Amino acid sequence: MLLSVEDFGIEFHDHDKPEKVVEGVSFTLDKGEILGIVGESGSGKSMTALAIAGLLPRKKLIKEGRILFEGEDVLTMERHKLRGLQGDEICMIFQEPMTALNPTMKIGTQVEEALRIHHTDMNDAARKERALKWLKNVELEDPERVYGSYPHQLSGGMRQRVMIAAAMVGEPQLLIADEPTTALDVTVQAQIIKLLQKLNKESKIAILFISHDLSLIRQISHNVLVMQNGHLVEKGAVDDIFEHPVQEYTKKLISAIPKVEL
Amino acid sequence: MLLTLLAVSFIVFAAFEIIPGDAAVSRLGSNATKESVEALRAQMGLDRPFMIRYLSWLAGFVKGDLGTSYSYNMPVSSMILEKLPITITLTIISMILTIGVSIPLSLLIAKYAGSKFDKVSYGVNQFAMAIPSFFLGILMSWFFGMVLKWFSPGGYISYKKNFGGFLSYLILPAIAIAIPKCAMSIKLLRSAILTEAGKDYVRTAYSRGLSTMEVLYRHVLKNAMIPLITFWGMAVADMIAGSIVVEQVFNIPGLGRILLTSISNRDYPVVEAVILLIAFVVLLMNFIVDVLYRVVDPRLRKD
Repeated sequence: MLLSVEDFGIEFHDHDKPEKVVEGVSFTLDKGEILGIVGESGSGKSMTALAIAGLLPRKKLIKEGRILFEGEDVLTMERHKLRGLQGDEICMIFQEPMTALNPTMKIGTQVEEALRIHHTDMNDAARKERALKWLKNVELEDPERVYGSYPHQLSGGMRQRVMIAAAMVGEPQLLIADEPTTALDVTVQAQIIKLLQKLNKESKIAILFISHDLSLIRQISHNVLVMQNGHLVEKGAVDDIFEHPVQEYTKKLISAIPKVEL
Repeated sequence: MLLTLLAVSFIVFAAFEIIPGDAAVSRLGSNATKESVEALRAQMGLDRPFMIRYLSWLAGFVKGDLGTSYSYNMPVSSMILEKLPITITLTIISMILTIGVSIPLSLLIAKYAGSKFDKVSYGVNQFAMAIPSFFLGILMSWFFGMVLKWFSPGGYISYKKNFGGFLSYLILPAIAIAIPKCAMSIKLLRSAILTEAGKDYVRTAYSRGLSTMEVLYRHVLKNAMIPLITFWGMAVADMIAGSIVVEQVFNIPGLGRILLTSISNRDYPVVEAVILLIAFVVLLMNFIVDVLYRVVDPRLRKD
């Protein structure tokens, strides 16, 4: 077992009244597993993902429960220890590939950054070689050119591939993908999903795939969590959830998937 | 750019036509007879009509002849060439201080945004921004010169004699010039850093395990500096113009000094040349700012 979330909750304290946005969420994730989290916006799925990646702000909110990554609690871990995990063991890609890359830094430098921090024994040539290998692995054409480009010179799909390469470069155990295809058009969406599946097979990396799109979740996940209003309403294997949903909310979600009649 | 310079030169010339005072009178003193003043005016060519004088000055300027100073009786170009390094050095030191101090300080203030430290520094900053450089210069001159006796006020060593000694006399005036600019710079940079710090790429950088300082220095700083380039460019031009008063306070014989004496002596050729030089620097800084934008922001480069 790679990740174990136990009775996790988040309470915001930035307004007069404290507000619970996530409550009592428990689940586990095994090595090499793709776990989908589905829910509407405001269901707390992204908050949970950010918490696992150690990216929640430290002020103005209270975190409850435990998030154990390989047995150690990410929530209470010292910051320097957490930074040791980030980019090396736990990586994250985001919804907006257009803004998730630094506009004034070359792609190569950004892809190599995790190596620069976590693999200080590597020299420049070795880092570049590794970066190019991953740019190639994410099926970018002409990796050399991409390596020397700036983000604005690439399309949205290419940028998301670059984000994936930058996440994978440290060869982590867990990739958190928060709505990674929402901002992309449908053909590119399908390619990115295929790419994530390939990486999961080849690198045995566990993926936490977050989306509001049930058909994507069904396509990519082994197991699924359904979240609503900060609570976990249903969890199970992907086929069970989609064929025999137990909860009313899940049934409603599934019936809302548009069916294509040919 | 040429048109701007032409317009500036004409306005300066016209301004001297309008303000009272006469180069011949100021040279001979107020007790001079009317005849001798008239004779000198004729000799200096001041009796000719305004447009003729302007055009002949312009013709000389285009040929590279800046004319001869009325009061010093030496070529304007060599006067300026001698004083220019002083003012330029002063500006460079002030600029290095401004940028060198404002960057680390604003990163520090931005890191602790919202804390007591941030609030205190806001107050200090407002105060520093509001003090005019010349007044700061007077205060510093008094405090370091008269109270602490670190240097003799009004002292100066020529850069030709001893460059190190020359620099040491420029440090205080440079600080006086830099403090208000630095305060302004910190105010702008702090808010630019905070704007950038909320962007998505910063979260990406944190997800790779960077510390806050690494994120600020490696990612945020360069992006936050983009809006500051214009301000810094204008600050350079402003410093050259502003050094006029500060040089006076610290008794430094730079461009400011000759500009002031030439204005009171109605020494048109010198005033024209110095003002055109300042105008030229302003335009040049505009150009450099445009180039720097392209260097810092790859999105503006043409592929």
